[in-house]
Amino acid sequence: MQEWQFVVPEKKHKKKFFGNLKTEVIDAKLCCHCAACAAICPVYGITAGDKPIDFPNWVKDCVDCGACIKVCPRWEYKPLNGIGNYVEAISAKSRRFRGQDGAMVSEITATALEMGLVEKAIFVSRDEDWRTKVITIREPSQLYDRKVTGTKYCYADSIPALKEAILSSKAVAFVGTPCMVSAVRKMQKSFKKFERVKLVIGLFCTENFYHHQLSEFLLKHKGVDLMKATKTDIKKGKFIVRFIDGSRISFPVKELEEIIPSGCKVCQDFSAIESDVSVGSVGSESGFSTVLVRTEIAKAIVDKIKEKGTAEIKEPDLGAVQKLCDYKIKIHPYPPKKKEEKGEKG
Amino acid sequence: MKVEKISRSPIAELKRHVDVIQEAFKQALIPDRITIEYPRERRKYPDNLRGFIVLDKSKCISCFRCAQICPANAIQMGFYDNFYPSVDYTKCIFCHFCVESCPTGALSGSNLHDMAFKSLEDMKVKTTQMMRLPTIIREDKQTVEYFVTKREWRLVRRKELEDLSVLRIIPKIKPKRAFCEEPESCLGCRQCMEVCPHDAIVMERCEVTLEGEVVGKGCILKVTEKCVGCGLCVRQCPMKILTLKEVE
Repeated sequence: MQEWQFVVPEKKHKKKFFGNLKTEVIDAKLCCHCAACAAICPVYGITAGDKPIDFPNWVKDCVDCGACIKVCPRWEYKPLNGIGNYVEAISAKSRRFRGQDGAMVSEITATALEMGLVEKAIFVSRDEDWRTKVITIREPSQLYDRKVTGTKYCYADSIPALKEAILSSKAVAFVGTPCMVSAVRKMQKSFKKFERVKLVIGLFCTENFYHHQLSEFLLKHKGVDLMKATKTDIKKGKFIVRFIDGSRISFPVKELEEIIPSGCKVCQDFSAIESDVSVGSVGSESGFSTVLVRTEIAKAIVDKIKEKGTAEIKEPDLGAVQKLCDYKIKIHPYPPKKKEEKGEKG
Repeated sequence: MKVEKISRSPIAELKRHVDVIQEAFKQALIPDRITIEYPRERRKYPDNLRGFIVLDKSKCISCFRCAQICPANAIQMGFYDNFYPSVDYTKCIFCHFCVESCPTGALSGSNLHDMAFKSLEDMKVKTTQMMRLPTIIREDKQTVEYFVTKREWRLVRRKELEDLSVLRIIPKIKPKRAFCEEPESCLGCRQCMEVCPHDAIVMERCEVTLEGEVVGKGCILKVTEKCVGCGLCVRQCPMKILTLKEVE
């Protein structure tokens, strides 16, 4: 006979656990759409994709295990903010890859793959229409595809793909927004198998969008079709879209206010504090990425990059990063000011 | 090669007749054809041939493994007092994956390969028919064996008949039981408990302690002695933390 025990989280409402999650997180407009709950759900009932998280027919189909609550980064939400701890900060540009700025996410992943630290990495690619598509990187050569590198300002279901990946391999790298990084950390805390996620690369992030809302906004208000775009970017408060023919449009990010999902409006974590290494454009000159190295494994990879000389290294301007961290706290207050229904939250 | 018009002259006709008669005599004395005149002749099959599948109903635990592994989709589970397999021999490719995957050895192979059915419907062999070996009716008078070398391919025909006692090849099975490899990763979804046909996995509510301190309310999952090792829970577990382990 064999026995083992597990903790069942406490319920706040007398419903099944997904009902609790729905009331406390999704309906309270805190959900950050990281899809961790969709990944962990043992009956695969929670749906993500390009729409708010939902569990059709949860009253009947939810098995009431509480796994979704254990992994949700917004359950009993305490916002993280600031620049966080780091052991090293550099500004770098990859000599091999071309990406959003310095292509350092690709460079770090490629180096980790070459060093044998990870077997595969979960990346987000896109289709012609800029819909996100999760792909698994096994070879550094896959990172030469310009669709794989470069930022997509849309939600992607990376964590469900991450869960499938950890079931089949022992060391996986993951790239995600700060909320996804927090979700992965929470999963690692609750479930030992997620310790197979060896490298978590966090991206600097202020907000993310639903694909259908972003493309609709661009078509309606700016008259541009994302299908023809080659690059999207946010620089100095401006949303920039570049096109195949070389033309570009830019407008203040503030105009996108109406389509910013509610979950992003309470998030203060700009620099992915819980990641192994954070990468973003802020704090570096054009064509370079700021890299904040936070843990041992990331330090080993960055040292290897320096040793091989696969990236150009400069000094970053951390003041700019700090400024954006503070700015994010200002524009995304928690608890939100105007909503009175948050009063009951403890 | 050119197709020529056959000459109809009497001499050519006679020559052809002689050729044919000569060949007929030759074949009558020392035949060198390589086709087998089934069922009058029967080919000698290797000893470890995979043939008719036999079921021992008392051992079957209705785990559906045979039906799930079958690459030809030939096995259907029918309900009697429990679910038991039946094989559709129109589809069966005699790979014996079902026999090898059977956790209790309820399915076993036999060396019976020559099967005749009266209709397509009869080829769907029912569970009751699988439990006993079919009756053997022999018409063969000769046993044929192939000898294949690099240079020649010939048959050896022997008058003696092969012994056709049907052997059940009983697989060697060690009893197994479900085992949790990594309890720390358990979601607590109780899917294993729900899928278990024998209620071998049970849950009890408890207080979870960590280093002597109560950290919260939780549950204990237990794999009890009732476990027959069907592996349904192993397949069901969303975190893939269960395995089958041999028990002494």
